[in-house]
Amino acid sequence: MPAAIEISGLTKRYGEGDAAVAALKGVDMIVQPGEVVGLIGPSGSGKSTLLKCLGAVIEPSAGRMALAGEAIYDNGWQVADLRALRRDRIGFVFQAPYLIPFLDVTDNVALLPMLAGVANADARERARVMLTALDVGHRAQAQVAQLSGGEQQRVAIARALVNQPPIILADEPTAPLDSERALAVVRILNEMAQRFATAIIVVTHDEKIIPTFRRIYHIRDGRTYEEAGEGRAA
Amino acid sequence: MINLAGRDILNGWGKFLFTGIGLGLLIGVTLSMAGIYRGLVDDGRVLLSNGGADLWVVQRDTLGPYAEPSNVRDDAYRALLGVRGVAEAGNVTYLTMQIEDQGKDVRVMLVGFQPGHPGEPGYLVAGRPITRSHYEAIADIKTGFRLGQRIRIRRHEYTVVGLTRRMVSSGGDPMVFVPLRDAQEVQFLKDNDALVNERARTAANPAFNRPGVPGLLEAVQASQASSRTVNVVMLRLAPHADEALVASEIRRWKHLEAYTRADMDEILVAKLIATSAKQIFMFLVILAIVSAAIVAFIIYTMTLNKVREIAVLKLIGARNRTIAAMILQQALGLGAIGFLVGKTAATLWAPIFPKYVLLLPGDAVLGALLVLAICALASVVAIRAALRIDPATAIGG
Repeated sequence: MPAAIEISGLTKRYGEGDAAVAALKGVDMIVQPGEVVGLIGPSGSGKSTLLKCLGAVIEPSAGRMALAGEAIYDNGWQVADLRALRRDRIGFVFQAPYLIPFLDVTDNVALLPMLAGVANADARERARVMLTALDVGHRAQAQVAQLSGGEQQRVAIARALVNQPPIILADEPTAPLDSERALAVVRILNEMAQRFATAIIVVTHDEKIIPTFRRIYHIRDGRTYEEAGEGRAA
Repeated sequence: MINLAGRDILNGWGKFLFTGIGLGLLIGVTLSMAGIYRGLVDDGRVLLSNGGADLWVVQRDTLGPYAEPSNVRDDAYRALLGVRGVAEAGNVTYLTMQIEDQGKDVRVMLVGFQPGHPGEPGYLVAGRPITRSHYEAIADIKTGFRLGQRIRIRRHEYTVVGLTRRMVSSGGDPMVFVPLRDAQEVQFLKDNDALVNERARTAANPAFNRPGVPGLLEAVQASQASSRTVNVVMLRLAPHADEALVASEIRRWKHLEAYTRADMDEILVAKLIATSAKQIFMFLVILAIVSAAIVAFIIYTMTLNKVREIAVLKLIGARNRTIAAMILQQALGLGAIGFLVGKTAATLWAPIFPKYVLLLPGDAVLGALLVLAICALASVVAIRAALRIDPATAIGG
């Protein structure tokens, strides 16, 4: 089975000539399906740049990235429609839930399959299944503003998972939560990774959740260093 | 696919509705301005058609009787009746003046006419036509006069015996119709003091007061105290008469100016109210620009308030056209609410205006299309801003 994410020699430079700054200097990373890995590093180390490259939001300068064995970048994008790539094959969980405030919970989740052309009824059914899996099915008709912070983050995870992408990029998903809720989110991410064979990269500074990762990538000065994590139960 | 614009509007409907109402009042003012212009034109046309004339004969080299002063001898109609194709002729005088009504001044146009001849009011909405040769009046309802009311015009009191509608001057003053002789007296006769002074001055003039010519002084004084002029002679033509030919005959042989209905329409609409029309048009242009700027500002602000949501939408794969459609639909929604409020407001406040405001369905349709076009145009700025939002904004760092 191919790796969910395989990155080799990924570099990213901002600017040109003498003013060029290298944010990533040959990053290597492999994440298997169903695996949750941590990506940690100080501010300015290149975490967000790596996440943006992986999320097909910015273009790397060189290197190779593959999703589920298929190269999406090899010294140039290998896919024509980056929006479709993000929509169908990459899930995003942000620092804050960033749900669409004028849509109810179901439609926040159903929006992704709808954008992919799935019929409204089918998309809403998928959303209901995913919300139930994340234990927020009872809030399906609620407005976003009526949810607690933890519920909002679960809905955001449901949105990231609804198209069943091979990878999810989680950008400090526990930052606004207390210890109990933060560990609950990590537990959910682990369960979902196992259940849907999804690879999840969690960018975090959160000391509470770092011990839960089995593998951790440290990023420093644009380079990654892999180490084994404690893998404690969340 | 979910209608994102509709959901956003429903989510913040109160703010959206109040913004739409604010815009609507501005649109209502714009529609009213158009209605005022239409009212001016229509007043002019009704004035022409209600008189029942086919030709207007006025003093040579003038644009009378509405655009310029015109004096025609009141016996000219006899000669005009002799022109081939002329069926009826009526002398008419016009004088804009103030009439006092219960302590308030009412500005009216006093019209002298010959009952049963061209120039009389086209129809009555109450009362009866003038049947006596003196001191009866028919008033436009805009004067506020009532049937049976006695109104003082210069030296005499008149009884309002009939009421008519939509009979106003090109300036919007409501008309009061009185018998021609009374109107001539009001228009041309001087007050008692002036008459006494004039008689004394004439008597002191040896050219008029010759001892050897008895009766000369009295004849001169009598001519000074009577008026034999009118402002226009209105002609009704025989069926199948060529109005252009009749007008040309009158110009050639009677040394008077004759205008057809098309000529009068041109004088009233293109010349007399042209400046007002330009003024109103300038207002319309300014209001359209202000409306566009307000819509653009509102939509731009609404879009900037959704930067994060738009970034997330772009990040999760929403196409540019989905986002552009959301903003465009909101702008059009705002325009639609604004137009409905504006049309309702303009319809409700139109009767309160002192001058006639004519809101044509065609203008309303054109206005709706213009509002939607302006809203669409105004949304371009917000759409450009939204499309420039970087999806990476949703990712921290």
